[in-house]
Amino acid sequence: MRCPACDHVNPPGADECERCQMPLSTLDLPQPQGPVETSLMTDTVMVLQPRPPVTIAADAPLGAAMQAMVQHKVGALLVTDPQGVLIGILTERDFLLRIAGTADYERHLVRDYMTPQPETVQSSDILAVALARMDAGGYRHLPVVHNGQPVGVISIRDVLRHLTRFCME
Amino acid sequence: MDQPVLPGGGRPPDAVARELSRNLRVDSVSRLGPTPALTLDADALVRAAVETMRAGRSGCLLVTSGGRLVGLFTERDLLTRVLAVGRSLDIPLREVMTPSPTTAEWHEPLRIAIRRMQEGGYRHLPIVDSTGRPVGVLSARQVVHYIVEHFPAVVFNQPPDPRQFPEAPEGA
Repeated sequence: MRCPACDHVNPPGADECERCQMPLSTLDLPQPQGPVETSLMTDTVMVLQPRPPVTIAADAPLGAAMQAMVQHKVGALLVTDPQGVLIGILTERDFLLRIAGTADYERHLVRDYMTPQPETVQSSDILAVALARMDAGGYRHLPVVHNGQPVGVISIRDVLRHLTRFCME
Repeated sequence: MDQPVLPGGGRPPDAVARELSRNLRVDSVSRLGPTPALTLDADALVRAAVETMRAGRSGCLLVTSGGRLVGLFTERDLLTRVLAVGRSLDIPLREVMTPSPTTAEWHEPLRIAIRRMQEGGYRHLPIVDSTGRPVGVLSARQVVHYIVEHFPAVVFNQPPDPRQFPEAPEGA
């Protein structure tokens, strides 16, 4: 890697220039190229305008959870403790994989079917972080958390809409 | 002072975005290798659909009649049209499916397929051949992954937790 100050050629990945000791490690950070990368690296997840979270208590019955998902037209409920701290997530997928066909499931409790400690993003996280987590985990919804409290949910459709704004014209 | 030579430099700033824009026009739906569709006949029971979707680990099932695509049944439909309204799992799919879903053809450009997904707010787009026979499903997740692959450096180089730093420098 070429030192930007003295033009000395250093081995790739060098932390500082061998000749002038200028720190080089920041040059290894990815540099945004073009509008999409700039947005991915400088916009926070809030640019997606996360929809307000629909929350439910862990000891609520699944019947109430279903009604909340239908009424609010959401595919995921955030499960919170009495202090409002996020402790789990309950999605349409859980109804398909584990709940449909179970006898009297309406009276079963959310806590027995939710995914505990779901992957989240902070409201200050950049888009690239959210995207890396969604893509790696295959998640369709990511709760947005501020000080442990859920403040929103971003969905894969929000991401797709944002990304294609730059390249569909 | 001269502009520092950046890793991967030499590409004009907009190159990646323009390349993506071009690829979306040039690449066809088949480029993403849509997952083979789970299909069931419209007379099959919702119970069978649930078992098929569980076994195939998919939230989306294509409903056919005489081999032709006539509907779509998703986990959302299961929740809102069956479970939440207290219907039995022993009813035929045709009563609760979404009939005549929007589709794309195998050879159509990706941007057309993506636009259709967005206009309808769909997470899944059935892919059919020229005779209307279902050959796959394109999911929003696959599209996002395809787009992300154009920007590997900024997405995949993110540390698992950007707020976390080692307590001591390496080797100390």
